[in-house]
Amino acid sequence: MTKVEAIIQTSKLEAVKDALHEAGVEGMTVLEVRGHGRQKGHTEFYRGREYTVDLIPKIKLEMILADALVEKVVQAIVTAARTGKIGDGKIFLSKIDEAIRIRNDERGEGAL
Amino acid sequence: MTTASLSSELRDLYTEETARIQQQFAATGDGRSAVQQRTRLVETITRRLWQEIVSPDEHAPTGFTLAALGGFGRSWLFPHSDVDILFLHAGKDSDARFQDHIRRFSQEMWDLRMKVSPATRTLAECDRFDASNVEFTISLLDCRYLAGDRELFERLHNRVIPKLVMREAQPLVQSLADVTRSRHAKYGNTVFHLEPNVKDGPGGLRDYNVAGWLSLISAMDKLRDWPDPKTLLPFSTRKQFDSALDFLMSVRCFLHLRQGRDDNLLLWESQDEAAARKIGCPDTEVIDAAGWMRVYFGQARSVHRVCTQLLEEIPAAWSSLYRQFQQWRSRLSNADFSVVDGLVYLQQPHALHDPEMLLRMFHFIAMHGLRLSTTTEYRIEQVLPSLAATPPRGAELWLYLGEILTQPHAADALRAMHALKLLTLLLPELKLIDALVVRDFYHRFTVDEHSFVAIESLHRLQPSQSEWDQRYSQLLSELERPELLYLALLLHDVGKGTPSTHHVQASLEIAQSSLARLDLDPSERETVLFLIGSHLEISATLRRDIFDPATIRVFAEKMETHERLKMLTLLTYADIKAVNPDALTPWKAENVFQLYIAAFNYLNHSVDERLEADSDDSHLAQIRMLVPTAGKKLKSFLEGLPKRYLAAYSATDVLAHAEMAGKLGQDPIQVQLERGRHWFELTLVTNDRPFLFATLAGVLAAWGMNIVKANAFSNQAAVVVDTFYFTDRFRTLELNLQEWERFKRSIVGVLMGETDLDRMLRDRLRSEKPGIAKVKVDTKIDFDDTCSARSTLVQVIAQDRPGLLHRISSSLSQEKCNIEIALIDTEGQMAIDVFYLTSHGEKLQPEHQQRIRSALLQSLESD
Repeated sequence: MTKVEAIIQTSKLEAVKDALHEAGVEGMTVLEVRGHGRQKGHTEFYRGREYTVDLIPKIKLEMILADALVEKVVQAIVTAARTGKIGDGKIFLSKIDEAIRIRNDERGEGAL
Repeated sequence: MTTASLSSELRDLYTEETARIQQQFAATGDGRSAVQQRTRLVETITRRLWQEIVSPDEHAPTGFTLAALGGFGRSWLFPHSDVDILFLHAGKDSDARFQDHIRRFSQEMWDLRMKVSPATRTLAECDRFDASNVEFTISLLDCRYLAGDRELFERLHNRVIPKLVMREAQPLVQSLADVTRSRHAKYGNTVFHLEPNVKDGPGGLRDYNVAGWLSLISAMDKLRDWPDPKTLLPFSTRKQFDSALDFLMSVRCFLHLRQGRDDNLLLWESQDEAAARKIGCPDTEVIDAAGWMRVYFGQARSVHRVCTQLLEEIPAAWSSLYRQFQQWRSRLSNADFSVVDGLVYLQQPHALHDPEMLLRMFHFIAMHGLRLSTTTEYRIEQVLPSLAATPPRGAELWLYLGEILTQPHAADALRAMHALKLLTLLLPELKLIDALVVRDFYHRFTVDEHSFVAIESLHRLQPSQSEWDQRYSQLLSELERPELLYLALLLHDVGKGTPSTHHVQASLEIAQSSLARLDLDPSERETVLFLIGSHLEISATLRRDIFDPATIRVFAEKMETHERLKMLTLLTYADIKAVNPDALTPWKAENVFQLYIAAFNYLNHSVDERLEADSDDSHLAQIRMLVPTAGKKLKSFLEGLPKRYLAAYSATDVLAHAEMAGKLGQDPIQVQLERGRHWFELTLVTNDRPFLFATLAGVLAAWGMNIVKANAFSNQAAVVVDTFYFTDRFRTLELNLQEWERFKRSIVGVLMGETDLDRMLRDRLRSEKPGIAKVKVDTKIDFDDTCSARSTLVQVIAQDRPGLLHRISSSLSQEKCNIEIALIDTEGQMAIDVFYLTSHGEKLQPEHQQRIRSALLQSLESD
């Protein structure tokens, strides 16, 4: 099993969600986050005061997948979230040892 | 009989009887009968166990008693309620003697799968008030004899409890009030949840109990004995209360049986089934879930109303602190209304037949955050039928409604009006969303309550200390017409009450009739409709990339003016916040504000794009429609004005300006003075000339006026439209109508060179002592060449003071600048003035900008 964490632009959430459903992903966690990579922030002036936006709003998606599905899902996210500009986001993959469904103690990929 | 065979017999009895009660409830839906039957069943079982475990004689042994407490004591045992019992014994010695009996008794009850909550106390322990366990003392108020030493029980019931209540009435009531208030706060202080809790939610069974306990303690304190339960509440309230109790009992029974546990949440699936089975209202016509929930809210609202009225009235009688607070509130009494214990009474009840008095009363409530007394509510209900024949409408109604909406406790007043059906009498369109449940995964409240919570959340901005609330609060304080924003919030979701799948469009259509009823003028109407029609616009834009200039441009162009942008930002903030307490995350609050700033700056930096009078702009179309014959004259007036001009003025204003421009041949200086809601408005139309804007600012300063905002525009033919919004610091114009003409003449006189402005200013400055600034604002001057194709923007931020605008604009004119557009604003003690400048029709050269900067700094620092 693999944990997929994807940081994407807020405007791409709907498109990515649709693509993930299309790819067969049934469940995901969506988080509102703030941060920056190379994109950094910028400064606005409002009423004579500086208003610095150093952390940019992003959406983070998290999902645990059966290994067989991972590459298809990564491609789905990349295709749906890409604009080609700085700030499109990143995808992180990590291995998961076990999954347990609390309701019936089912384990492994069946619990996903 | 052995204990084992008794257990088996009682288990069979409990199982069979429970099944029978369930079947009977399924057939009749009668909750009151079901809880009474379960109470009798549990009583039978407890007595049998007593005879088997404690004493074969039901009324023995001496010095040991079994009593029912809490819900069991009230004979309200719902299918999965806890069974609260008290083992009362005479003294400490008997504790050890009966310990084994208590253990075995409780064990047997648990084995029967009853959730028993046993308490063991002596009389002395019952007599002790423990502030950390108020629940126990309260549960004693419902105690009832079951088995054992009756004399011991009677000592508890007839002597200990009345004495305890009389001695501890004040802390008891205070604790009960505190617990109830915090319980209400946990549920957002409202009955109108989409999925309410029928036990603990406001208007639920717990509120019914609290009303009973408060009345009981109050009566016991007066009578020094147990009162007759029938006399606890007035007859009219009791009748309404009984009906609500029957309904709520049936609903809770239904939920317990449906869920198979003590679950009191009325979830959507349960609502569907309850409606299909007509739970609690068997005689009504077939209704859908939304209709059934309206019945629920009606009943819960009446329970909540009585409970909160008693919460105001009764604690006040004991607490000296609360008394002081209430006495302070009673000072709010005036010739029309008296305030007693936070409740409003009429000084002259017959005056209520005057609709104006009725509206004034709700304005009074909105201002001070008070509640209506039961008597006043009753009197209002009496006059409503006659009011329904000729309800107030038009400007008179809007005058009062607008005032109510802007008061700090507006939402409380609106809720009170709504509960009495007065609000829907005045604005029948709101009937569509009365207690309306619209199911989604985000909203917590009914549609009407959502609108009230939204209004409330804006009023709560001002006292809030949170960073985001303060930012939004600042925006709110800058609004010229906040009442229009509040009205838009009240109406923004009325379309949800129609079958339409596009509720925004439906809300717009329905709101038209409300606005017509209130007789709003066209520009007010346009603003409210804009807000309703755009109320999802910011949320939609937040789904785009708000760091993309194209997104900002499209959004800002839809807003057109700063004022609309501010209003829509606030409406969005309130709308999201009213969805549920967690909906407005700091992430969202910051994104909304980020969008606001970007759009605000865009509007500031793009205002001088020129208008083409032949274009098919929607404002132009509206103006042409108003006066189809104005054609050529209008075209020549509009040609070359900035696009922002049309957004800043209503169609009627534009036509008035065009007319003034048309008269310039006869009279070269056209002046119009009006008094607005917050400030005076001076409009001047004339041919452009050097120092015009500076001179006007100077005349106003010389008259002691404080300029709050100003606009300056000019068209291709160099006709200027300057508007100054100012407050009359010395009330010269406000108190002396004859001064209006002298004021206008003095403007013309100065512009014609007949009056010496410098002398006027010297006279004014001589008579005024310079004030001490509360907040020091550093002067800041910024130039921007990039935001306009034809002008250079200069933004001057400085300490606000009399004559400031005159100084700045005079310096600009002395530096041979032409002021193409001026956007003048004031934020507290900070003046923020933006000018679009040209010199000989071109942008300013860098060295020219440097000279202007020096001149401005010199002028602003020479005090």
